[in-house]
Amino acid sequence: MISLLELQQAFADAVFGKEESPCPAQCVCRQELPETAFGIYRSSVLGNYRKALGAVYPVVERLVGERFFAHAADAFARRTPSCHGDLNRYGEEFADFLAGFPGAQCLAYLPDVARLEWAVDAVFNAADPSPPNLALLTSLAESGEEGVTFLLGDHCRLLRSPWPVDRLWALNQPGVAWDEGFSIDSGPVALLVRREGYDCAIEPLQESEFALLAALNDGLSVAAACARPESPAPERCGEILALRLAQGVLRVAP
Amino acid sequence: MPTVSRFGSPSAIPRRTGIGLRTQHFRSVLGSLPDVGWLEVHSENFFGAGGQPLYYLERIRNHYPISLHGVGLSLGAVGGPDAEHLRRLKVLADRIEPGLISEHLAWSAVGGRHLNELLPLPGTEEALAVVCRAVAKTQEFLGRQILVENISSYLGYDHTTIPEPEFIREVVARTGCGLLLDINNVFVSAHNLGFDPRTYLAAIPHAAVQEIHLAGHSRMGNLLVDTHGTRVADAVWNLYAGAFAHLPPTPTLIEWDNDIPPLAVLVEEAERADSILERCLDQSA
Repeated sequence: MISLLELQQAFADAVFGKEESPCPAQCVCRQELPETAFGIYRSSVLGNYRKALGAVYPVVERLVGERFFAHAADAFARRTPSCHGDLNRYGEEFADFLAGFPGAQCLAYLPDVARLEWAVDAVFNAADPSPPNLALLTSLAESGEEGVTFLLGDHCRLLRSPWPVDRLWALNQPGVAWDEGFSIDSGPVALLVRREGYDCAIEPLQESEFALLAALNDGLSVAAACARPESPAPERCGEILALRLAQGVLRVAP
Repeated sequence: MPTVSRFGSPSAIPRRTGIGLRTQHFRSVLGSLPDVGWLEVHSENFFGAGGQPLYYLERIRNHYPISLHGVGLSLGAVGGPDAEHLRRLKVLADRIEPGLISEHLAWSAVGGRHLNELLPLPGTEEALAVVCRAVAKTQEFLGRQILVENISSYLGYDHTTIPEPEFIREVVARTGCGLLLDINNVFVSAHNLGFDPRTYLAAIPHAAVQEIHLAGHSRMGNLLVDTHGTRVADAVWNLYAGAFAHLPPTPTLIEWDNDIPPLAVLVEEAERADSILERCLDQSA
């Protein structure tokens, strides 16, 4: 008799295989051929994946159209099944997949749009920001310790792109009229994606501020991050740190 | 056979009808506070660490008893429930303090691949042992009883030797879990697999039933499919009313997950179930 593991593996192989992949031989159905009944499960699994991706990547779907999106989502699902019981966590690799997916490669900016949407989704569901710990910050300032490190809050993400994906994202929100003056070739962006209250904000940064925040988030001490040539001038660094700590964008690393 | 939970019985979910709460209705529920007995949410939709979903759920929790209904634990997976999934469920349960926690008698993951669908198990001793281990582990981890729900099946397996009602009886007996009886799923599976739904309802462990689900289904060719996208079918209403020949009045839930209608439609369906429940309460008084 087939073991439970063998049955489940055969079932999953048939779901993720090509349309004509046979279902496990043990399947029986009173009303239809087993293959027909099995097809409902295959459609449902792929349909659920597609729906999950559509929920995270609505702008990508709008840019490529519903049919192409479904085609890409099914191809992605067969290559990259979900690895969580929570389907809300599915699809982080979709941007990289799109970068190599035939038909999507003519839209070179599309993977970065997807990366932005993944960041928006992650920020939306991240832990709520805590108010800044002013007592801790004061004591750190008074101690003059040089090795202090700051990290981005869980509700913040940094994203850089050669294309103005923030503007493209904003123009593709429901009810927003298209701007005829928009050009995808209007230059690179450095973005801070963060939660504001229970909504999401996408804030364009100066390249130097982006470099400073990225260095801090990589674990460099405040002193080392501010000393990097890419970072803003020292007095500007101080202003940025004060603002971002007050906003909760930065927190003292544990 | 134990009929009372080792972990204590829930009291917060009333013997009335509730509705499945989906994101589309967060604001309208808070704005209108409809007269329904309780609300049920899909646990996984609140597994994030914060943000809008939890904000709304905590506000709604102030007005209604809540049940957490899971769709992704995969109680029938050979490797057992995923530790991270269990951890997130416990964090949510500690935060929301639900009246009931439920999961499905199904598998949805194998070898690290999650199909995120409620897939049927064969009725074998091996599958029974796998499910019992998973239910026991889940209850121990959460420190409380869970309910397991019968699923809709579109196919069965030729090596099944244990009919589903007997399988359920054994799971309940070995683990002390409760049963979430989905009447629509019984109806759909009975049609697709060719058994009598009334015989099924007579054979399940009645004392373990702590919640009932009702939902709509659709026809695809010769099969019935559990689409949760329509009103409850008349035949399912009849089966529901008939179930109280065996069951006491039991908290009931209206589920609707696709083509979600205005809140008023769900409330209408809940009122219809409540009227049946009230007749049962009158008769049992």
